[in-house]
Amino acid sequence: MSTTAVQRRRGGLIDRRLAARVSATRRYLFTAVGVGLASTASVVAQAVLLASVVSSVLLHGATLGAVAPRLAGLAAAFAARALLGWAGEAAAQRTGAAVTSTLRRQLLRHALDLGPVWLGGERAGELSLAATRGTSALTTYFGRYLPQAVLAALAPIGILIWVGAEDWPSFLILLGLVALVPLTMVYFGRESAARTRLQWRRLSSLSARFLDMLRGLPTLRAFGREAHGRREVAEATDGLRQTTLSTLRVAFASALALEFLAGIGTGLVAMVLGLRLLGGHVSLYTAVAVLLVSPEVFLPLRRAGAEFHASAEGQAAADRILSVLDVETVPHEGREGGQGGQGGRTRSPGTPAGPVRGEPAGGTRSRERAALGAHHVTVSFPGRATPALVDFSVEVRDGEHLALVGPSGSGKSTAIGLFLGFVRPTNGWVVVGGHDVALAEPALWRHLLAWVPQRPHLLHGSIEDNLRIADPDASEARLTRAIQLVGLSHTVQGLPNGLATVVGEGGVSLSAGERQRLALARAVVRDAPIVLLDEPVAHLDAHTEAALRDTLGPWLESRTVLVAAHRPELVARLDRVVRLGAGTRYVEHETVRAGDLEQLTDDVAGAKHQ
Amino acid sequence: MRSKRAGSLTAVAVIRELLRIGAPPWRKLALAALLGVLGALATVGLLAGSGYVVDRAAFRPGLGAIAGVLAAVEVLAFLRGPLRYGERLVGHDAAFRSLARWRVWLYDRLEPLAPAGLLGWRSGDVLARVTDDVDTLQDLYLRCLLPVGVTVAAATLAVVLVAVVLPVAGAALAAALVVALAVAPAAAVATGTARGREAELRGRLGAEVVDVLRAAPELLAFGRDADALAAVEATDRELTAIARRRAWSTGASGAIVTACLGGAVTAVLALGVGAVHAHHMAPVMLAVLPLAAVGAFETVPAVATAALRANDVIAAGRRLLDLASIPVPVVDPDEPAALPLGCPQVAVRDARLRYAPDLPWALDGMDLDVAPGAHVGLVGASGAGKSSLVHALLRFWPLQEGSASLGGVPLDTLRQADVRRAIALVDQDAHVFAGTIRQNVTLGRPKATEGDVEDALARAQLADWVATLPDGMNTQVGEEGAQISGGQRRRIALARALLTGAPVLVLDEPTAGLDQESGAQLVAGIVDDARARGTSVVLVTHRARDLGHLDRVVVMENGRVVHVLDGAEAAEIHDPARSAPLDGAGAGHPAPM
Repeated sequence: MSTTAVQRRRGGLIDRRLAARVSATRRYLFTAVGVGLASTASVVAQAVLLASVVSSVLLHGATLGAVAPRLAGLAAAFAARALLGWAGEAAAQRTGAAVTSTLRRQLLRHALDLGPVWLGGERAGELSLAATRGTSALTTYFGRYLPQAVLAALAPIGILIWVGAEDWPSFLILLGLVALVPLTMVYFGRESAARTRLQWRRLSSLSARFLDMLRGLPTLRAFGREAHGRREVAEATDGLRQTTLSTLRVAFASALALEFLAGIGTGLVAMVLGLRLLGGHVSLYTAVAVLLVSPEVFLPLRRAGAEFHASAEGQAAADRILSVLDVETVPHEGREGGQGGQGGRTRSPGTPAGPVRGEPAGGTRSRERAALGAHHVTVSFPGRATPALVDFSVEVRDGEHLALVGPSGSGKSTAIGLFLGFVRPTNGWVVVGGHDVALAEPALWRHLLAWVPQRPHLLHGSIEDNLRIADPDASEARLTRAIQLVGLSHTVQGLPNGLATVVGEGGVSLSAGERQRLALARAVVRDAPIVLLDEPVAHLDAHTEAALRDTLGPWLESRTVLVAAHRPELVARLDRVVRLGAGTRYVEHETVRAGDLEQLTDDVAGAKHQ
Repeated sequence: MRSKRAGSLTAVAVIRELLRIGAPPWRKLALAALLGVLGALATVGLLAGSGYVVDRAAFRPGLGAIAGVLAAVEVLAFLRGPLRYGERLVGHDAAFRSLARWRVWLYDRLEPLAPAGLLGWRSGDVLARVTDDVDTLQDLYLRCLLPVGVTVAAATLAVVLVAVVLPVAGAALAAALVVALAVAPAAAVATGTARGREAELRGRLGAEVVDVLRAAPELLAFGRDADALAAVEATDRELTAIARRRAWSTGASGAIVTACLGGAVTAVLALGVGAVHAHHMAPVMLAVLPLAAVGAFETVPAVATAALRANDVIAAGRRLLDLASIPVPVVDPDEPAALPLGCPQVAVRDARLRYAPDLPWALDGMDLDVAPGAHVGLVGASGAGKSSLVHALLRFWPLQEGSASLGGVPLDTLRQADVRRAIALVDQDAHVFAGTIRQNVTLGRPKATEGDVEDALARAQLADWVATLPDGMNTQVGEEGAQISGGQRRRIALARALLTGAPVLVLDEPTAGLDQESGAQLVAGIVDDARARGTSVVLVTHRARDLGHLDRVVVMENGRVVHVLDGAEAAEIHDPARSAPLDGAGAGHPAPM
């Protein structure tokens, strides 16, 4: 007798998967359904009291005084229903919020565990939509639709049993009409669910497209193609309108079918009761009571139907989120309780830097030990024909400054990613500060690393916030010193609020060079014994770079440095240079001991000239 | 920069403005409202009519006495569903059409602001605004205007119907309806003061989520992932607390509606009983009164929701209007001058530019001359004003003082589109759109032939790479060009600029992300190509090796020119590997501190 055999079959799967992840679901659901059933009972009570008053007055001439207690009861039944509705609203909100918050937390945590490589491409944008809009849709699904769907299965049965006890013919009419409901729902529900999934995809691509157009606005304007962007937006929106309308045509058609059945139900029951009253086969009390209750048989079904439209979006979102949660991460063997990546906060700030700090607690090792090591590492990315690195080996000793050079696409960034644990080797193993990256908990070794990425991301917040990401406890003096070291003091002083100036996401208000130097300052604030630099000067002019080399030199001096760059000039002292071969088909690498940099750059150039 | 804040607009002004921009199809809305009123009346008629039938039949008057009303009841039972269906479909169609207008309007408003005018607006926030706020606007019709109009009209007619049967009952029903329609929305909005806060938090949550996902590499590398998640959760908790209070007031408003309904039903029934005994009313009408009251209340809960949604709509509308009210930095002249033909001379005289009155001058007495067919380099420390000069030349930002001209015609007398037709830009942040390589390249000239595109790709030294791709020019490049390397992204941007055939080419750091040798080769190729075609080139770079091919190199500092050198000289002196910084001996600091 359920409204939604299909939804329950399809939705049931999602519900069970969600219930397994969010333990509170079931308890909240029971509360909401309990409140709904009590509310239905109060509706039946109202009908009975009203019918009894009408019948007493019309047939027995009862006075106002005689029916007053029943009128009071009627008012009380309404009051009870009002309070139950209130409680139901609160329960719905709690259910939705509990599920939404838990799922969002799990989604973000899991996305971080899957790592930056997995998050690359278009995933970040699409997932942020799922984590905000998608989880909001889930609130509706859980708070409203789900309790209503369960109620839609239970309440009509209860009411029908009561009608059956009162009047058999009305029972049969209503039963027949209610039995038609699942049939219509099977058709409409399936249609609507499929269309809603399509709409969700369109919506995702619409926001991706809109964001793409917004980001590209400077380019569009530079080429006088503003109209092209507008057309893209309009087309995407219009496509959405058409899809949504065709979804609604079906979604509303199911509402139409329900409303139609409810209308016909009341009409038929009224007719049959009227005719049977004429023949004296039924009492006025029964007729009025049954007439009043008959719309209530369909009401829970109609409500569930009304929420279904919103819920389908929630289901699609849940599906997307669950599919992300189902992607398995490769566990670190030393992992404890899923808490990862907080190591940076455990060390005391401000202790003097030096290679010794690279030693993990409790282990004294020889100075010759490698700070960083890659051993016979091959990296293949899914969907790429050729591996990014083949049989790559390198060791960076404590305090050593080593450069990775080579043309674009030779795997320099991939190599840096290995030491950060972002890139997982297909073969071979990677060691950071004596810890096997594949086996050890990240907290054990990530705090040893300071990293300057090729394309740094700025968080929305102030410059200070963006520096403190490297170390939340850093003193004001350390921040200032870091800003000085990277030559940003002048720029920062020129900003309206100095260090507290808010920089946009993606660093809109800062130039690429300033962004890069801010990333360098982050690494300085980080104050870690091993420094990984990925193309640290790609956006800097030679002038700034030369100045940076002078100021950063002493800071880098006491640390282990691995720099991947076309031009590793930023690092003043280079002990060794490892050259990665051109092309991604295979990687040759060659170590130049104490290489003269200019000699080497010329070598690279020479190799390319041939 | 944001002078006119929409926050100061009254709610009515916001709605009026939204209606003006959305330009809804009023006829469709009126039709939807009419269908809605008829549907609501069908419900009242169905309930009241069947009550009459049953009451009447109880006195066994014979079939003929009830046949007419019975037939009417059955007709209404059939009509009610289709009427509602029509109302909803027509209403949604109207709302969606308006929605499309709002979206395009917002794009149009943001477009002239890029790139410099949109400082400080988070892209995650803009995304949240656009998808959520604009979607919220559709409720202006669907959940505010239509339900309120339909309910007020239908309720009034229901009261009239009841008053015809028993005037005092009509008055009681009217009183209950008025209380419900006034108090329930007020209760729903009672915690409405938190709505602005909620919208703000929702925006923050969106931005924080975007931060977590986009800056995931940094957060993980610095071990700050847990803190970032904690920030998201803190915002989420605050949002949940607000949502809980709202659920409380929404529940209260629903309870008020039910209580008023109970009051109305009980009152009209009691009055009816009295009237029957006083012979003021036919006994058969007794059940009609409470049933009509039930029918009259059916759409009332929607009005309470409408008040709540109206708040959301107004808040969303305010934020959108706010975003759209950022002043446009550059507007076209009313009577634009004609673009000079051929390859024009570019001249900048004593130019000053800054982005806000409280910010330092980015250009401060800048002079530049690029003769037709000249190839000029522009070097200087970060922050010396190179990119600001590019902004000024492309008319993205106006000069506050001084002048810039193209072939002797002042830039500010030209249409922006014309300026950008004459000057093609390869920006250091050149955007590569999601789509194919071909789509990205032909953006510069949509009607380019296959041969033109191939030619541009070859000139940008991309042809060999494209030839190795299985799908060639139809290869998809991802969001922000994530599927291709930095160097390829720059070359695609270059090919796009070359394809336009513009007489002046401005290149802002075209070799960043390329290795020295490929970079120098690329620049040499571009300059040779320009020489052959007689076009001018302005090259902003920081690489000594790129400068050797140029006629002249201008060294900038603090927003003005400090040296002018010839190309070979510049390549020699400016090489950081060989000597001290260029201006180290002269004015200024070695580093821009």
